Amino acid sequence: MKEVILDCMGEACPVPLIKCQNKIAELEIGDVMIVQIDHSCAMKNVPEWANKEGYNCELEEVDDGEWEVIIEKSR
Amino acid sequence: MSEGTSIRRSSSRAGTTRKPKKNQLPIALAVVVLIIAVGIFASTRSANAAIFWITGIAFGFVLQKARFCFTASMRDPYLTGGTSITRAVLIAFALTTIGFTAIKYGYAVKGLAIPGMSYVVPISGATAVGAIMFGTGMVIAGGCASGTLMRVGEMFHMNMISLVFFIVGSLLGANHFGWWKLNFISNGPKVFLPDYLGWFGAVAAQLTLIAIIYIIAAVYEKRRGGGGAAH
Repeated sequence: MKEVILDCMGEACPVPLIKCQNKIAELEIGDVMIVQIDHSCAMKNVPEWANKEGYNCELEEVDDGEWEVIIEKSR
Repeated sequence: MSEGTSIRRSSSRAGTTRKPKKNQLPIALAVVVLIIAVGIFASTRSANAAIFWITGIAFGFVLQKARFCFTASMRDPYLTGGTSITRAVLIAFALTTIGFTAIKYGYAVKGLAIPGMSYVVPISGATAVGAIMFGTGMVIAGGCASGTLMRVGEMFHMNMISLVFFIVGSLLGANHFGWWKLNFISNGPKVFLPDYLGWFGAVAAQLTLIAIIYIIAAVYEKRRGGGGAAH
Protein backbone atom coordinates (compact mmCIF):
# COMPACT_ATOMS: atom_id res chain seq x y z
CA MET A 1 0.00 0.00 0.00
CA LYS A 2 1.39 3.30 -1.11
CA GLU A 3 0.55 6.72 0.24
CA VAL A 4 0.98 9.81 -1.91
CA ILE A 5 0.56 13.44 -1.00
CA LEU A 6 -0.86 15.79 -3.57
CA ASP A 7 -0.08 19.42 -2.84
CA CYS A 8 -2.85 21.66 -4.17
CA MET A 9 -2.30 24.60 -1.84
CA GLY A 10 -3.16 27.86 -3.52
CA GLU A 11 -4.74 26.13 -6.48
CA ALA A 12 -8.21 27.30 -7.42
CA CYS A 13 -11.01 25.26 -8.89
CA PRO A 14 -10.85 23.16 -10.96
CA VAL A 15 -7.11 22.49 -10.72
CA PRO A 16 -7.24 20.34 -7.53
CA LEU A 17 -9.91 18.08 -9.00
CA ILE A 18 -8.10 17.69 -12.32
CA LYS A 19 -4.86 16.87 -10.47
CA CYS A 20 -6.73 14.28 -8.41
CA GLN A 21 -8.23 12.67 -11.48
CA ASN A 22 -4.83 12.46 -13.16
CA LYS A 23 -3.02 11.22 -10.07
CA ILE A 24 -5.54 8.55 -9.08
CA ALA A 25 -5.17 7.00 -12.53
CA GLU A 26 -1.49 6.31 -11.73
CA LEU A 27 -2.27 4.63 -8.41
CA GLU A 28 -3.08 1.01 -7.76
CA ILE A 29 -6.03 -0.34 -5.85
CA GLY A 30 -5.48 0.03 -2.11
CA ASP A 31 -3.26 3.10 -2.43
CA VAL A 32 -4.12 6.21 -0.48
CA MET A 33 -3.92 9.75 -1.80
CA ILE A 34 -3.85 12.73 0.53
CA VAL A 35 -4.88 15.94 -1.18
CA GLN A 36 -3.90 19.16 0.56
CA ILE A 37 -6.18 22.05 -0.34
CA ASP A 38 -6.95 25.56 0.83
CA HIS A 39 -9.69 26.33 -1.67
CA SER A 40 -13.10 25.89 -0.14
CA CYS A 41 -14.71 24.79 -3.40
CA ALA A 42 -12.27 21.92 -3.76
CA MET A 43 -13.28 20.88 -0.24
CA LYS A 44 -16.70 20.26 -1.74
CA ASN A 45 -16.06 18.96 -5.24
CA VAL A 46 -13.11 16.64 -4.58
CA PRO A 47 -15.03 14.50 -2.02
CA GLU A 48 -18.10 14.65 -4.26
CA TRP A 49 -16.09 13.28 -7.15
CA ALA A 50 -14.44 10.61 -4.97
CA ASN A 51 -17.79 9.41 -3.67
CA LYS A 52 -19.22 9.31 -7.16
CA GLU A 53 -16.28 7.24 -8.33
CA GLY A 54 -16.91 4.90 -5.41
CA TYR A 55 -13.65 5.54 -3.53
CA ASN A 56 -13.46 5.73 0.25
CA CYS A 57 -13.02 9.33 1.18
CA GLU A 58 -12.51 11.38 4.30
CA LEU A 59 -12.24 15.10 4.83
CA GLU A 60 -10.21 16.64 7.59
CA GLU A 61 -9.85 20.33 8.41
CA VAL A 62 -6.22 20.54 9.43
CA ASP A 63 -6.23 24.27 10.03
CA ASP A 64 -8.56 27.19 9.51
CA GLY A 65 -9.24 27.16 5.78
CA GLU A 66 -6.91 24.24 5.08
CA TRP A 67 -8.12 20.76 4.43
CA GLU A 68 -6.83 17.29 3.68
CA VAL A 69 -8.96 15.01 1.58
CA ILE A 70 -7.93 11.43 2.12
CA ILE A 71 -8.94 9.20 -0.75
CA GLU A 72 -8.44 5.47 -0.86
CA LYS A 73 -8.51 3.94 -4.31
CA SER A 74 -10.76 1.18 -3.08
CA ARG A 75 -11.82 -0.14 -6.44
CA MET B 1 -18.61 9.26 3.64
CA SER B 2 -18.75 6.10 1.50
CA GLU B 3 -18.69 3.24 3.96
CA GLY B 4 -18.21 4.98 7.26
CA THR B 5 -15.01 3.01 7.70
CA SER B 6 -11.90 4.93 8.58
CA ILE B 7 -9.12 4.87 6.03
CA ARG B 8 -5.93 3.37 7.36
CA ARG B 9 -3.08 5.81 7.01
CA SER B 10 0.60 5.12 7.34
CA SER B 11 1.87 5.62 10.88
CA SER B 12 4.19 8.48 9.99
CA ARG B 13 1.33 10.83 9.26
CA ALA B 14 -1.59 9.49 11.26
CA GLY B 15 0.26 10.08 14.50
CA THR B 16 1.10 13.70 13.93
CA THR B 17 -0.63 16.01 16.34
CA ARG B 18 -2.28 19.06 14.94
CA LYS B 19 -1.82 22.39 16.55
CA PRO B 20 -5.05 23.28 18.33
CA LYS B 21 -7.36 25.54 16.40
CA LYS B 22 -8.16 28.98 17.70
CA ASN B 23 -11.67 29.46 18.97
CA GLN B 24 -13.36 31.72 16.42
CA LEU B 25 -16.51 32.36 18.42
CA PRO B 26 -15.40 35.71 19.90
CA ILE B 27 -14.54 36.99 16.41
CA ALA B 28 -17.89 35.77 15.09
CA LEU B 29 -19.77 37.57 17.86
CA ALA B 30 -17.76 40.75 17.28
CA VAL B 31 -18.56 40.61 13.54
CA VAL B 32 -22.29 40.12 14.24
CA VAL B 33 -22.28 43.13 16.59
CA LEU B 34 -20.40 45.16 13.98
CA ILE B 35 -22.87 44.18 11.23
CA ILE B 36 -25.82 45.23 13.39
CA ALA B 37 -24.10 48.46 14.43
CA VAL B 38 -23.29 49.43 10.83
CA GLY B 39 -26.85 48.46 9.84
CA ILE B 40 -28.35 50.74 12.49
CA PHE B 41 -25.99 53.55 11.51
CA ALA B 42 -26.87 53.10 7.81
CA SER B 43 -30.60 53.16 8.58
CA THR B 44 -30.21 56.60 10.14
CA ARG B 45 -28.80 57.85 6.85
CA SER B 46 -31.18 56.13 4.42
CA ALA B 47 -33.53 53.15 4.67
CA ASN B 48 -32.21 51.75 1.39
CA ALA B 49 -28.60 51.69 2.59
CA ALA B 50 -29.54 49.48 5.54
CA ILE B 51 -31.52 47.13 3.29
CA PHE B 52 -28.61 46.88 0.80
CA TRP B 53 -26.19 46.22 3.66
CA ILE B 54 -28.26 43.40 5.15
CA THR B 55 -29.27 41.75 1.84
CA GLY B 56 -25.67 41.97 0.63
CA ILE B 57 -24.38 40.18 3.70
CA ALA B 58 -27.20 37.63 3.52
CA PHE B 59 -26.45 36.90 -0.15
CA GLY B 60 -22.75 36.55 0.58
CA PHE B 61 -23.45 34.17 3.44
CA VAL B 62 -25.75 31.98 1.36
CA LEU B 63 -23.32 32.02 -1.57
CA GLN B 64 -20.40 30.97 0.60
CA LYS B 65 -22.25 28.28 2.54
CA ALA B 66 -24.01 26.85 -0.49
CA ARG B 67 -20.81 26.90 -2.57
CA PHE B 68 -22.97 28.25 -5.36
CA CYS B 69 -20.61 28.97 -8.23
CA PHE B 70 -21.67 30.15 -11.68
CA THR B 71 -18.17 29.50 -12.97
CA ALA B 72 -18.34 25.84 -11.95
CA SER B 73 -21.80 25.51 -13.47
CA MET B 74 -20.41 26.40 -16.90
CA ARG B 75 -16.97 24.83 -16.53
CA ASP B 76 -17.47 21.49 -14.81
CA PRO B 77 -19.54 19.87 -17.57
CA TYR B 78 -16.51 20.17 -19.87
CA LEU B 79 -13.70 19.59 -17.41
CA THR B 80 -14.98 17.01 -14.96
CA GLY B 81 -18.29 15.86 -16.39
CA GLY B 82 -20.19 16.91 -13.27
CA THR B 83 -23.38 18.87 -13.75
CA SER B 84 -24.75 19.11 -10.19
CA ILE B 85 -23.98 22.86 -9.96
CA THR B 86 -25.22 23.39 -13.51
CA ARG B 87 -28.54 21.89 -12.46
CA ALA B 88 -28.59 24.00 -9.29
CA VAL B 89 -28.21 27.14 -11.41
CA LEU B 90 -31.00 25.95 -13.71
CA ILE B 91 -33.30 25.48 -10.70
CA ALA B 92 -32.38 29.00 -9.55
CA PHE B 93 -33.23 30.32 -13.04
CA ALA B 94 -36.58 28.51 -12.94
CA LEU B 95 -37.44 29.99 -9.54
CA THR B 96 -36.45 33.51 -10.54
CA THR B 97 -38.42 33.14 -13.79
CA ILE B 98 -41.56 32.48 -11.76
CA GLY B 99 -40.77 35.17 -9.19
CA PHE B 100 -39.93 37.94 -11.63
CA THR B 101 -42.89 37.10 -13.86
CA ALA B 102 -45.18 37.33 -10.84
CA ILE B 103 -43.81 40.77 -9.95
CA LYS B 104 -43.97 42.10 -13.53
CA TYR B 105 -47.39 40.58 -14.18
CA GLY B 106 -48.66 42.18 -10.97
CA TYR B 107 -47.68 45.61 -12.26
CA ALA B 108 -48.95 44.94 -15.79
CA VAL B 109 -52.41 43.86 -14.57
CA LYS B 110 -52.80 47.06 -12.58
CA GLY B 111 -51.80 49.04 -15.66
CA LEU B 112 -48.66 50.36 -14.00
CA ALA B 113 -45.24 50.69 -15.62
CA ILE B 114 -43.50 47.31 -15.46
CA PRO B 115 -40.36 47.57 -13.30
CA GLY B 116 -36.97 46.43 -14.51
CA MET B 117 -37.71 46.90 -18.23
CA SER B 118 -34.42 48.74 -18.68
CA TYR B 119 -32.79 45.30 -18.32
CA VAL B 120 -34.49 44.08 -21.49
CA VAL B 121 -31.54 44.82 -23.75
CA PRO B 122 -30.94 44.07 -27.42
CA ILE B 123 -29.60 40.64 -28.31
CA SER B 124 -27.19 40.07 -31.15
CA GLY B 125 -23.92 38.42 -32.01
CA ALA B 126 -22.35 40.79 -29.50
CA THR B 127 -24.20 38.94 -26.73
CA ALA B 128 -22.59 35.65 -27.74
CA VAL B 129 -19.13 37.17 -28.19
CA GLY B 130 -19.37 38.86 -24.78
CA ALA B 131 -20.59 35.67 -23.14
CA ILE B 132 -17.65 33.67 -24.51
CA MET B 133 -15.18 36.34 -23.39
CA PHE B 134 -16.70 36.52 -19.91
CA GLY B 135 -16.83 32.72 -19.64
CA THR B 136 -13.18 32.33 -20.65
CA GLY B 137 -12.16 35.05 -18.21
CA MET B 138 -14.07 33.69 -15.26
CA VAL B 139 -12.63 30.20 -15.63
CA ILE B 140 -9.07 31.59 -15.76
CA ALA B 141 -9.72 34.03 -12.89
CA GLY B 142 -11.33 31.32 -10.77
CA GLY B 143 -14.60 33.09 -10.24
CA CYS B 144 -17.32 35.21 -11.77
CA ALA B 145 -18.25 38.53 -10.14
CA SER B 146 -20.03 37.17 -7.07
CA GLY B 147 -17.66 34.20 -6.77
CA THR B 148 -14.60 36.46 -6.83
CA LEU B 149 -16.02 38.68 -4.09
CA MET B 150 -16.97 35.66 -1.99
CA ARG B 151 -13.47 34.16 -2.24
CA VAL B 152 -11.81 37.45 -1.45
CA GLY B 153 -13.84 37.28 1.75
CA GLU B 154 -12.36 33.82 2.29
CA MET B 155 -8.89 35.36 1.87
CA PHE B 156 -8.06 33.29 -1.18
CA HIS B 157 -5.10 35.13 -2.71
CA MET B 158 -5.66 34.30 -6.36
CA ASN B 159 -9.07 35.95 -6.31
CA MET B 160 -7.65 39.08 -4.67
CA ILE B 161 -5.55 39.52 -7.80
CA SER B 162 -8.65 38.79 -9.88
CA LEU B 163 -10.56 41.48 -7.98
CA VAL B 164 -7.95 44.14 -8.78
CA PHE B 165 -8.15 43.43 -12.50
CA PHE B 166 -11.90 42.94 -12.30
CA ILE B 167 -12.14 46.53 -11.07
CA VAL B 168 -9.68 47.77 -13.71
CA GLY B 169 -11.63 45.98 -16.45
CA SER B 170 -14.98 47.19 -15.19
CA LEU B 171 -13.82 50.81 -15.13
CA LEU B 172 -12.39 50.53 -18.65
CA GLY B 173 -15.56 48.83 -19.82
CA ALA B 174 -17.81 51.43 -18.24
CA ASN B 175 -15.72 54.19 -19.81
CA HIS B 176 -16.01 52.77 -23.33
CA PHE B 177 -19.49 51.31 -23.02
CA GLY B 178 -21.17 54.19 -24.87
CA TRP B 179 -19.21 53.52 -28.06
CA TRP B 180 -19.88 49.77 -28.01
CA LYS B 181 -23.55 50.36 -27.29
CA LEU B 182 -23.91 52.78 -30.18
CA ASN B 183 -22.01 50.71 -32.75
CA PHE B 184 -22.72 47.10 -31.81
CA ILE B 185 -25.14 46.43 -28.99
CA SER B 186 -28.05 48.62 -30.05
CA ASN B 187 -28.18 46.96 -33.50
CA GLY B 188 -29.96 43.87 -32.16
CA PRO B 189 -33.67 43.42 -31.47
CA LYS B 190 -35.08 43.77 -27.97
CA VAL B 191 -37.02 40.67 -27.04
CA PHE B 192 -39.43 40.66 -24.12
CA LEU B 193 -41.07 37.24 -24.30
CA PRO B 194 -44.51 38.22 -22.89
CA ASP B 195 -44.87 40.62 -25.85
CA TYR B 196 -44.61 37.69 -28.23
CA LEU B 197 -46.07 34.72 -26.35
CA GLY B 198 -48.28 36.31 -23.71
CA TRP B 199 -47.54 36.09 -20.01
CA PHE B 200 -48.44 32.43 -19.59
CA GLY B 201 -46.76 31.42 -22.83
CA ALA B 202 -43.55 33.20 -21.85
CA VAL B 203 -43.32 31.42 -18.49
CA ALA B 204 -44.24 28.08 -20.04
CA ALA B 205 -41.69 28.46 -22.85
CA GLN B 206 -38.89 29.49 -20.52
CA LEU B 207 -39.59 26.76 -17.95
CA THR B 208 -39.84 24.15 -20.71
CA LEU B 209 -36.47 25.24 -22.09
CA ILE B 210 -34.90 25.12 -18.61
CA ALA B 211 -36.41 21.66 -18.01
CA ILE B 212 -34.99 20.39 -21.32
CA ILE B 213 -31.50 21.71 -20.46
CA TYR B 214 -31.84 20.17 -16.97
CA ILE B 215 -32.63 16.75 -18.43
CA ILE B 216 -29.76 17.01 -20.93
CA ALA B 217 -27.40 17.93 -18.05
CA ALA B 218 -28.55 14.98 -15.94
CA VAL B 219 -28.25 12.49 -18.81
CA TYR B 220 -24.87 13.95 -19.81
CA GLU B 221 -23.45 13.48 -16.30
CA LYS B 222 -24.64 9.88 -16.20
CA ARG B 223 -23.10 9.12 -19.59
CA ARG B 224 -19.77 10.75 -18.73
CA GLY B 225 -19.57 9.71 -15.06
CA GLY B 226 -16.91 7.01 -14.98
CA GLY B 227 -17.88 5.58 -11.62
CA GLY B 228 -21.42 4.66 -12.45
CA ALA B 229 -22.24 4.74 -8.73
CA ALA B 230 -25.52 6.34 -7.78
CA HIS B 231 -25.04 9.94 -6.80
